[in-house]
Amino acid sequence: MSGAAGWDFVAITLLVYLGVNLIACLGLNLQYGTAGVLNFAFIVFQAVGAYTAALFAVGPSSGNGGFQTYVGGWRLPFPLPWIIATVAGAVVAVPVGLVGLRRLRSDYQAMVMLVVSLIATTVVVSFPGFLNGSAGISLVPPPLGTLLNPISVGYGWMYVGLTAVCCLSVFVVVAALARSPLGRSWRAMRDNEVVAGAVGLDVTRLRMLVFVVGGAIAALSGAVLVGFISAWSPDAWLYPETFAYFTALIVGGLGNSIGALIGAVLVPTLLLEGVTFLPTFANPTVSLGLQWIIIGVVIIGFLWFRPRGIAPERKNVLAPPARTLTLPGAGHDKADMS
Amino acid sequence: MNQFVLIVGSGLITAALLAVAGVGFTLQFSVTNVLNIAYGSIMSAAALVAYAVNTAGANLWVSGLVAAATGATFSLAINRGVFRPFEGRRAGPFTLIILSLAISLILENVLLIVGGPHFFSYGRLGQPSVRIEGVGFTPAQVVMVAVAGVLMFVVHAMQKWTKLGKAMRATATNPELARSRGVRTAIVVDLAWVISGVLCGLAGLFMGIIVGAFNASTGSSLLVPIIAGVVLGGIGSPYGAMLGALIIGIVSEAAASIGGLSAFKQLVAFAVLIGMLLLRPQGIFSSTAAERGLAR
Repeated sequence: MSGAAGWDFVAITLLVYLGVNLIACLGLNLQYGTAGVLNFAFIVFQAVGAYTAALFAVGPSSGNGGFQTYVGGWRLPFPLPWIIATVAGAVVAVPVGLVGLRRLRSDYQAMVMLVVSLIATTVVVSFPGFLNGSAGISLVPPPLGTLLNPISVGYGWMYVGLTAVCCLSVFVVVAALARSPLGRSWRAMRDNEVVAGAVGLDVTRLRMLVFVVGGAIAALSGAVLVGFISAWSPDAWLYPETFAYFTALIVGGLGNSIGALIGAVLVPTLLLEGVTFLPTFANPTVSLGLQWIIIGVVIIGFLWFRPRGIAPERKNVLAPPARTLTLPGAGHDKADMS
Repeated sequence: MNQFVLIVGSGLITAALLAVAGVGFTLQFSVTNVLNIAYGSIMSAAALVAYAVNTAGANLWVSGLVAAATGATFSLAINRGVFRPFEGRRAGPFTLIILSLAISLILENVLLIVGGPHFFSYGRLGQPSVRIEGVGFTPAQVVMVAVAGVLMFVVHAMQKWTKLGKAMRATATNPELARSRGVRTAIVVDLAWVISGVLCGLAGLFMGIIVGAFNASTGSSLLVPIIAGVVLGGIGSPYGAMLGALIIGIVSEAAASIGGLSAFKQLVAFAVLIGMLLLRPQGIFSSTAAERGLAR
């Protein structure tokens, strides 16, 4: 790994991670930024996608000499594992959403979702027969690895292209959803749930929908990631990872895709991945710990100094009418309402 | 019979830890309205400091005092340094819980860097000399259950019969009204954080003794049963937290004993939490949760 190939390797890795993080940030932004639904178990959906994509690509449990055990295990051609993974994310979102659908105050709900995330890790670690426990699933074959040489630089750039296609698709879907009547309903629910319900929006359905769509997007990000690193274990999806994505959104600016992009570049990509390419100045425990300390300090700093992020959401308002009509009695109605 | 004694005995020991931790968590929440996710990390901090003092030669009673002081210091510092300034700006619940997560991450990783990734252990604290129906418990375990009982009574007495308890309940119910009636709510809130920190610190020491091996992230991993107990009993209610801890403690030990896998403890706590949230999210003693609009 030296010279041109070395730099290619660094660039490919960072770009793939950027793509994965951007997909995840777009999904989380749809859930929290657009619909105001707090999902502190977001990383669990990325994990669902990664495990599912791995299970549908790696082949049966006994295939690799039986050194890892897991449920199922098929060897399906690309892109089937990614598609199944995305669907799996949507399916798993339903039971988790049922808990999230309870009308709980946002912080109470966040706490519950945090517990969901903690328990998901406990389940996978405690039952090694399920997804090979804390060692995780490895030797996941790279997508299209039989057609192309997966250790070549060309394959790396092809993977960057594949990631970019996924990013773009998610971006288009999210942008379309945000502009659609559904997106307006989500924002209405975010801004005032009671009023949204009063004007006839089915808040329960809206919440479940955004849980399912966001879960599918998160799962896709996991599938893309596991295809690239070819292994997945509980260490990759501990609950602070969700926090890193929330940090990204707050740094970038909630509720808009530009903000999600800025956040995805700065926090999970440059801060969490980029630094691993710098010369190590301390032992791994110290540098890993420092990353999270920096993230914690950054979030407190942003919430204090710039709570709306680098690129704040622009309010979606119509141009003011040239002449304002005052309806008789309108002022009184307003006074009565408040 | 042996298994029954074992389940109730170890259930009580677990419940002692969960009750002390849960009451601290819920008391602070009822007064300040902040869900403090950093609670687990403060437990770890107190456990590590108490362990350091203990290995330096102090006995467990002194370690307990040190743990309580550590918990109180961190707890008060977090309120003064972060929560109070942000509340002064009328930060919403989402901002506050993100802040508590940020504090938790910072504290846990500082501890990880200072203490290292390896686990610490008190080893065996004495022989299982207290025998009930043939099942042995160590003196440390028995003392812990007794201390937890005393602490619960002290919390009850403070809430019921002291001026501070009255002021805390008044602040919890209606801070503006309490202030206008001459309660210095800022001091009451500070004291709530301190009392919560004392209980959190002692729970940290208990954790160190009970779990066998612990490190910087053990406190956070205990958040599942602690929160399960608190939510089951009804968040904001100290008596609810005690009852919840007792139920979670005994049921989870029963599951682990019968199922033969310690992971069942966490799973049972989780199952109880989810079941409760689906059926009755406000918990058994539901007044606080209902008043705050936590669950409708």
